[in-house]
Amino acid sequence: MRGERRDPADRCVGAMSKGRRRARAPARALRLLPLLIGVLGASVCGGGAAVAQDIGVRARVDRDSVVEGGQVALTVEVSGTSLGEVAPPDVSGITDFDIVGGPMSSNRFQWINGRTSATRSYTYLLRPRRTGSQRIPPLGLLVNGQTYRTESIDVEVIPGGGAGTPGNRPSPPAGGDGERGGPGRAPGPARPQQEPAGTPVVRVIADVDTPVAYFSQQVTLRVLLDTQTEILNLGMKDTPTFPGFWAEEIKLPENLEMRRVQRGSEAYNEYTLMKRALFPTGSGMLTIPAMTYQIQVRRRSLDPIESFFFTPTETITRRTEPIAIEVHPLPATSRPAGFSGAVGNFNLTVTTDRKDSQVNDAIGVKIRVAGEGNLNAVNALPLPELSDFKQYSPKVSSSTSIVGDRLRGEKVWDYVLIPLAPGAQSIPPVRFSFFDPRTATYRSIASPPIPIQVARGAEGSAGPPGVLVVQSDVRQLRRDIHFIKQAADGLKDRSAPFYRSPWFAVLVLLPLATDLGVFVYARTRDSQRANARQRRERGARTLARRRLKEARRRMAPSTARAFYAEVAQALTEYVAAKSDTSAAGLTHDRIEELLTSRGATEEDRRTFHRCLAACDYARFAPTSSGPEEMRRTLLAAEEILVRLERSLSA
Amino acid sequence: MRTARLSLVALLALGATAPLSPALASTPRELFQNGNSAYEQGNFEVAVDAYQKILAYGFADPRVLYNLANAYFKQGKLGAAILYYARALRLDPSDQDVRDNLEFARGLIRDRIPETGIPYPVAAVKDLLDTVSVDLLSVLFLCVYFAAAGLVGALPLLTGDLRRRALGYGAAVTGVCVLLVGGAMLYKIQDRTAANAIVMTDRVDVLSGPSADNTVLFTVHEGTRLEVRNRRDGWYQVSLPNAMSGWVPSGSVERV
Repeated sequence: MRGERRDPADRCVGAMSKGRRRARAPARALRLLPLLIGVLGASVCGGGAAVAQDIGVRARVDRDSVVEGGQVALTVEVSGTSLGEVAPPDVSGITDFDIVGGPMSSNRFQWINGRTSATRSYTYLLRPRRTGSQRIPPLGLLVNGQTYRTESIDVEVIPGGGAGTPGNRPSPPAGGDGERGGPGRAPGPARPQQEPAGTPVVRVIADVDTPVAYFSQQVTLRVLLDTQTEILNLGMKDTPTFPGFWAEEIKLPENLEMRRVQRGSEAYNEYTLMKRALFPTGSGMLTIPAMTYQIQVRRRSLDPIESFFFTPTETITRRTEPIAIEVHPLPATSRPAGFSGAVGNFNLTVTTDRKDSQVNDAIGVKIRVAGEGNLNAVNALPLPELSDFKQYSPKVSSSTSIVGDRLRGEKVWDYVLIPLAPGAQSIPPVRFSFFDPRTATYRSIASPPIPIQVARGAEGSAGPPGVLVVQSDVRQLRRDIHFIKQAADGLKDRSAPFYRSPWFAVLVLLPLATDLGVFVYARTRDSQRANARQRRERGARTLARRRLKEARRRMAPSTARAFYAEVAQALTEYVAAKSDTSAAGLTHDRIEELLTSRGATEEDRRTFHRCLAACDYARFAPTSSGPEEMRRTLLAAEEILVRLERSLSA
Repeated sequence: MRTARLSLVALLALGATAPLSPALASTPRELFQNGNSAYEQGNFEVAVDAYQKILAYGFADPRVLYNLANAYFKQGKLGAAILYYARALRLDPSDQDVRDNLEFARGLIRDRIPETGIPYPVAAVKDLLDTVSVDLLSVLFLCVYFAAAGLVGALPLLTGDLRRRALGYGAAVTGVCVLLVGGAMLYKIQDRTAANAIVMTDRVDVLSGPSADNTVLFTVHEGTRLEVRNRRDGWYQVSLPNAMSGWVPSGSVERV
């Protein structure tokens, strides 16, 4: 909330006086006294600067109880041997009563036993706002620059028919000092005011143009002064504040204009004291607080000398009534995507300083939004990112003006765009959305696209093909989600994963079962092979005997070759069977290895090889062997086989 | 389940014979087309309704989930959009569109929760695995598993030291592959079945216990992903990646 400026009403008296000086008699110049404080201080003290001593202040009321609607006279007295500058009491703290009259000041001097004393009193007429025990709080007085406080006073307000207490004059209607605009009161004449006897009829009224508004919609506040007497001076007691509102001052003419208005049977002079354009910054019930004015008027005096030579005056206090404003939030539905927050009625213009340009040659683009309403909340940049232009941050300027009591705002964005590519380019439409409170709808306005013809620039800026091309990065202008997908191949339910299907379990178990089967098969096969080896080893001796038996049968000179072949076969097959290898191709070296590996002794091996060599010699030698030779060979073979059987089995 | 499948088959059969009519769309395919048409016309509520009907049939196609998430996103329902993007990504982690949109949507949520630091090699493997579906890993596992089993099974059938040694090395290598792929598959299964939840309301207070009168520990907002650690009487015990944990009403979040 911006700070409130000084109200023009503070200076309006000066303006009024100047106007009157030109038109009235010089005697009226006496009325051009400064504010009441100076007037009273000068008249009472005669400019005395004596320091106040024995200063005493007290407040009293003329009665302790009052009927509802009646009045209480509050008197604040300052007494002392010497009174210096005395300011009227600060009555802004009186909230339980309406000040319907006063202050009326009086002075009294006493000379008793050579000692002087002075007393100054201020009398106010108060009307209680509610029944029950009401309190007049301690009131502060500024005497010679020092503040004194009175005691608080309790007044019992009795519910009644609006009549005053005995002896009191009839009271005006409840709450009706007539100087206030009611909460949310539409413009119109104020209610009649009942002034206390002897008090001039002066009323201050505050009103608004509408009691119901949307968020950020202008509410025009007006403070009027209706009077039937001559106003000498006036001013606001406090700087007005408007919590919950953004306030813009509506300037008034230098000299307040007076209008003649008719209120019922009474005619008044009416002045406009203040105008404000208020913009709610929140929603709900907001209140424009009361404003207090102190008005110096001419007092009616029965003393003809006083009336002739002096200007009897008095200062009266008038306070406006708080005004409630019902503020609606902006509707959430149908809010445009690019809503700027502006409320009012605006138009949009987009202009460029040229329509033809060159690559890398700057173009100025001015975007202007203007209209009735407050544009201070509009901060978004109106121009989107452009792919073919380099864009700098805009220079933003804004201004406001008051036209016909309505605030008009203007905001201008000055962009500088650098074309990056030649050809027919375009400034796309600029969109601006705002809420129009008159129609209670959102409105979006857009500017037409502006074509820009961009020529190839000078050297170094997009020249002809093959010369030089200035490339720039492709910039991401905005981000959004990827688009939806189609299902040309149909939809598939993929909620059940493959690993949870029975097939997966089967496929996991299948290799295990297969490997287990292979393992069992291999073990079986190996076992069978081992058994076969053992059988063959065990049958080696039997096979060798069978061979030797056949050799014995062929032990004749005619079958000598067959005999030696059988003996050699018996020996070779015996070793092969014992080693579980094939007898075919067994050489002497291989036999030696096998016998060595099986643990045969060296003598047995030598004997074995000697016997086998004898067989080979006899088989392939040209000379034939005799029976004795064959018998020795057979015996040697049998012997070596017995020995080998013995050693190999061990 | 069986009844749902039968009804689905019946719906598919009906869809194969009936002409396509938006008003009478009843098969998942027709509903999908209607949802897409509504989406393209900007009628996202109708699109959501159509996609949800497909899911009600038990037809969890990742494209349906993706389009549904898009429609929610366009409606401004960030929590629902993130929820269905995450579900679509579980079914098809290889879809880059889903990944991009999920990342984009997560960039719009209000809560920024620092992730725990992961060493680069682990992060690289994790990123790689995040793009692979568990079904693909299942098939790959079966392949290396069959290879390893074949090699192991061939070992006792072969004779000769050299061949058996070569086969043994091959079996060892494939065995290591089985372990790696199997581990990756278990990671994906764990990731798929992880108990995550998405905040669906604008904001939810995380309390120190499973009742409303407990202390508010912190507040999370729509779209934030929580890990569900426990459940009790309509309350979830949840935690964030930065180890903050507490209890939230189960109605404020939705399990992925």
